[in-house]
Amino acid sequence: MLDWLWLVPGLPFLGFLILFAGQGKMPKRWTTLVGVGSVGLAALVTLLIAVEFYGTPEAALTYRQTLWTWMEAGSLKPGFSLYLDGLALSMLFVITGVGFLIHLYASGYMYEDEDFPRFFTYTNLFVAAMVMLVLADNLVLLFLGWEGVGLCSYLLIGFWYRDPENGRCARKAFIVTRIGDTAFAIGLFLLFRELGTLDIQDAMSAATATWPRDSGTATLIAVLLLGGAVGKSAQLPLQTWLPDAMAGPTPVSALIHAATMVTAGVYLIARTHVLFQLSTDAMQLVALVGVLTLLMSGFTALTQTDLKRILAYSTISQIGYMFLALGVGAWSSAIFHLMTHAFFKALLFLTAGSIILSVHHQQDIFKMGGLRKALPVPFATFLVGCLGLTALPPTSGFFSKEQILNAVWSSPTGGQLIWAGAVLGAFITAIYTFRMFFIVFFGEQQTEAHEHKGFKFHVPLIVLAVLAAVGGFFHLPLTSALPHAGHDHVPLGVEVTAIALPMVGVLLAYLLFYRQIPALRQLFETGPLKSLAAFFYSGWAMDWLYDRLLVKPFVALARWNSKDLVDQLPAVVSRGAALFHRLLSLSQNGQLRYYVATMALASLVVMAVAVYTG
Amino acid sequence: MSYGASLITHLWPLVLFLVLVIGLISLMLAGPYFLGSRRNARATGEPYECGIVPVGSAQYHVPIPFYLFAIFFVIFDLEAVFLFAWAVAVRETGWAGFIEALVFIVILLVALLYLWRLGALDWRTFRQKRDRASVLLR
Amino acid sequence: MTMTELHALLPIIVIAGISVVLMVMTAFFRHQRLASLITYGGFIAAAVLVAGQTGSGPQQATPLLIMDEYSRFFSLVILVTSLAATMLAYDYLRRSDVFKEEYYILLSLAVLGAVVLVSSNHFAAFFIGIELMSVSLFAMVGYMVQGRTRRAVTLEASVKYMILSGVSSSFLLFGIALVYADFGVLSFSGLHSLLGLHSTSSYSQIGAAMIVVGLAFKLSWVPFHMWTPDVYEGAPVPVTAFLATVSKVSVFAIIVRFFIESGAFRLEALVQALVWIAVLSMLVGNGLALLQQNIKRLLAYSSIAHLGYLMVAFIAIAGSNLANTNLAVEATAFYLVAYIVMSLIAFGIITTLSSPERAEEAETLAHFRGLFWQKPGLATAMGLALLSLAGIPLTIGFVGKFYVFAAGVAGQLWLLVGVLIVGSALGLYYYLRLIMEMCKAPDTEPAISREETPLENRVVLSALGLVLLVIGIFPNGLITTVHAAVAVLR
Repeated sequence: MLDWLWLVPGLPFLGFLILFAGQGKMPKRWTTLVGVGSVGLAALVTLLIAVEFYGTPEAALTYRQTLWTWMEAGSLKPGFSLYLDGLALSMLFVITGVGFLIHLYASGYMYEDEDFPRFFTYTNLFVAAMVMLVLADNLVLLFLGWEGVGLCSYLLIGFWYRDPENGRCARKAFIVTRIGDTAFAIGLFLLFRELGTLDIQDAMSAATATWPRDSGTATLIAVLLLGGAVGKSAQLPLQTWLPDAMAGPTPVSALIHAATMVTAGVYLIARTHVLFQLSTDAMQLVALVGVLTLLMSGFTALTQTDLKRILAYSTISQIGYMFLALGVGAWSSAIFHLMTHAFFKALLFLTAGSIILSVHHQQDIFKMGGLRKALPVPFATFLVGCLGLTALPPTSGFFSKEQILNAVWSSPTGGQLIWAGAVLGAFITAIYTFRMFFIVFFGEQQTEAHEHKGFKFHVPLIVLAVLAAVGGFFHLPLTSALPHAGHDHVPLGVEVTAIALPMVGVLLAYLLFYRQIPALRQLFETGPLKSLAAFFYSGWAMDWLYDRLLVKPFVALARWNSKDLVDQLPAVVSRGAALFHRLLSLSQNGQLRYYVATMALASLVVMAVAVYTG
Repeated sequence: MSYGASLITHLWPLVLFLVLVIGLISLMLAGPYFLGSRRNARATGEPYECGIVPVGSAQYHVPIPFYLFAIFFVIFDLEAVFLFAWAVAVRETGWAGFIEALVFIVILLVALLYLWRLGALDWRTFRQKRDRASVLLR
Repeated sequence: MTMTELHALLPIIVIAGISVVLMVMTAFFRHQRLASLITYGGFIAAAVLVAGQTGSGPQQATPLLIMDEYSRFFSLVILVTSLAATMLAYDYLRRSDVFKEEYYILLSLAVLGAVVLVSSNHFAAFFIGIELMSVSLFAMVGYMVQGRTRRAVTLEASVKYMILSGVSSSFLLFGIALVYADFGVLSFSGLHSLLGLHSTSSYSQIGAAMIVVGLAFKLSWVPFHMWTPDVYEGAPVPVTAFLATVSKVSVFAIIVRFFIESGAFRLEALVQALVWIAVLSMLVGNGLALLQQNIKRLLAYSSIAHLGYLMVAFIAIAGSNLANTNLAVEATAFYLVAYIVMSLIAFGIITTLSSPERAEEAETLAHFRGLFWQKPGLATAMGLALLSLAGIPLTIGFVGKFYVFAAGVAGQLWLLVGVLIVGSALGLYYYLRLIMEMCKAPDTEPAISREETPLENRVVLSALGLVLLVIGIFPNGLITTVHAAVAVLR
């Protein structure tokens, strides 16, 4: 059964090829069948592989499948092989399982769209690339998948390309992540130069053998890899693209910008955790990035009014938790949170999609209101999602977040201050989550809503709701793939605080946005807090800052340069080459005697060289 | 006697011969210049051809298939050269040598056959062949 | 001669047999299809015989010829290439208004020369092989003349090639004579303990230089390349295809063997001269191709450049490190195969597009403008060949160039590697220009014939295209074969 591993990336890729060849001329039913079916089959294969995988003894939980070796020239053997271990398998669950549900949902959501086949072409390619990223056994292949998902993300954010604004958002996402990718690529080159291998497992064992703890090189490479992860996972300081990425269709937001691609950074760090373990500084940096991001984006989410942007900021914040977990060495907790987050965030996005569709593409939460009655199923599933996001027991989010918070408390790279930040983040999460919930579903109904019913809409929502509710009881096969974080017992007070604060947050949100207590509202709508809220609303003015600091100067430079300097060099080269050609052409005059004379002269030179310098 | 001296002893008849030859030729070329009369008539520069006035230019194509000559030379003369070499050692080479010589001769024979069928032995020009064919057709 | 020797020589005898049989046949019964089938059959039979002997160890057949893995590999390459080139020529010949059967006689003689050449390890066989091949090629280059202007060009090319080849052969022969005068040895391995040591006199140094000059002409290394564009342009395309592949590859194969077995790499000054020849070949070849409008001339210049790339690996053999030397020899062998595949496709497509009945070769850019829209299959194959020539990944040309590059880097030939990069960059321009031309909207009056591509051409071109891609993606099979083939050269 493990031999079928290649089918997991292969099937979606085949789907992509079929849809691509179909050129959008296939009947919609066929498109649906291919687009959704390929991912569904991949999920099935993953399940079958998992069954066998769980059956084997814990220590032997790795499997390598070499599909082909491209060429062997000297020591360089760029190959194409897949590597499966517990970590990869956990990721496969999320990608194919959640991916399938989202595809199913999208087949209903996107049905009316004129570019329906193009949508599935892109998403199938995305799933193939993402699986490739996860299963890659060498860093080149991983980079290929990494760029592949980036490309698909770009294509899908700009899916409705007729609106130039969407194109701008897509470009922004592409360029901002590109900054991280550059760092990542430099890190790869450095790693190859230092260790001479790009095979991940070899590189990891070579790293421990080569570098001492806290070696400068290891730290540098780890930080460069972190740069790539930060770009892809929308963490500080490269987080600005993700809210704008919501310009894409909602299933895309669920699939790429919540459940899978944005967690690739987390996967990358977990995959190269050996490298990070070598460097306390790098770990500390990861933890700091995580906690700062989760706080910043939490505060921003608090002030947003666009339903999808709230969810986007909350995604950034939740990935911040994962980074925090990585930073404190709670590797498996990070992946666990990755999974539970995929469940409840995909659920929230899909439900949000249903809501938005029902109210005629209205995304402002203050223009919805009171949708509880009109949309019973979305109401129920959204509630489950919110509970998961808030991490209230016994939902899946509770288990994963609790693990993380406990690890932070007891870790050397964590500590009490960071723990306090993380708990504050959880508190804020509760507030903004239920602010959104109460405003959307309670209060006066601002607009009429038509629920989209049907199998394709409800089944994914309900399945995801169940997963979000009970996903915390899953056991991921991570013990052999990732080192176990030492579970020191934390004081009872600490644990209770961590559990209680979100509940207080929910209560606060209830008071503020359900009961709408005037005194409290007054507080927020006047004075310094109002301007603070405006500051938060702008995403801590990061976009403004980047625009002034980087984009504008760069554009000015490019404009200034577009006619002069840089063009001159290629022009000189091409003119020089043409001149060279003309000079040489003179020698080809077709005269036989001239040819013979040249040959004789050249032979003389060769013989003279051979004799006199020999 | 030194090497140089012996060289001179051996070579002096040759040197004398060369000197005599050059002297004789110079005499023959220079003699008419002094002895002959100089008259410049209309036909003086023309080539002498038994008293008949020549017609046309001397420079025109004569169709001699040199490439064919070369091939025939290879077939007949070189064949003889190689066979002569074989004939000297015919006892030593034995049957193997005989077979090899046979192969060699057969290949050349095939080439001859080919040339014959191609009309290489027919030395008429294309025009002559064509005229002949048209005569036969009439 | 023993039976084992005879057995080893059997492929050569079969090839010689083709020409004899064809001569008899032509004498009495002219039939192009039959002649072509006999030629195919002979090549296939010889190839099967060679392949059957693979792995049976080296076999010296008479003091002149050696049948080892290296010569078998290249004999096989030559036979398969010739088979493909002959098949591509069939339709072209059929449509032209000349004697057709003689082409097959001349071709099989040239192949005989090439196979003898790659199997030789003695100057006598070496010279016989090279001359047999060249003399047949003189006639082939001037073959099939139709149309007044075209005839003038073709005959001019033939005469040029004959005279210049004569000059180069005289250099070669004189060089051999000088080496023989110095050592009294004609076999390559016999020279190994003599050539390039301190006792070497100027005689043999000049002799080796003259041999290199003679071969440099055949390989069109700069500055002995002058004939190449004129002859490539003047010769009928199928002949150009043969000339560009078989004659180049066989001479290169034997120069590698000669240099390794005779120890000529120890002549440091000569190797230094070769470095400059390589630099010139890469720069001048690409520079001349840059703005060239005639496709046949363009490919001629590009072949000069490719032979220059090959020299990088060839010179890398001179290194002292054994592993690097092996890598370099492998690189030359691999690149030669790659070069054959790409050139054969390119010339094969020109052959297919040409109309000999109108005395017109598809050699101008106009013939290729908009080809993608008119003949997508041919245009795709041509595009692949050009991409491969340019060294774009996932084609055989990339793997070959990468191999050469690796050999150059391992041998620390930084000058050559640098020029290789510059040359490749220049190359990219003119190959892509041609691809762009093919993608343009077609002219209203297409310059190419509207005829259906003949089956034979389609089969050969798709097979070659497949090889180009498959080896580009899975090069390991060929690498292993090449590795085994060159292991005998010590």
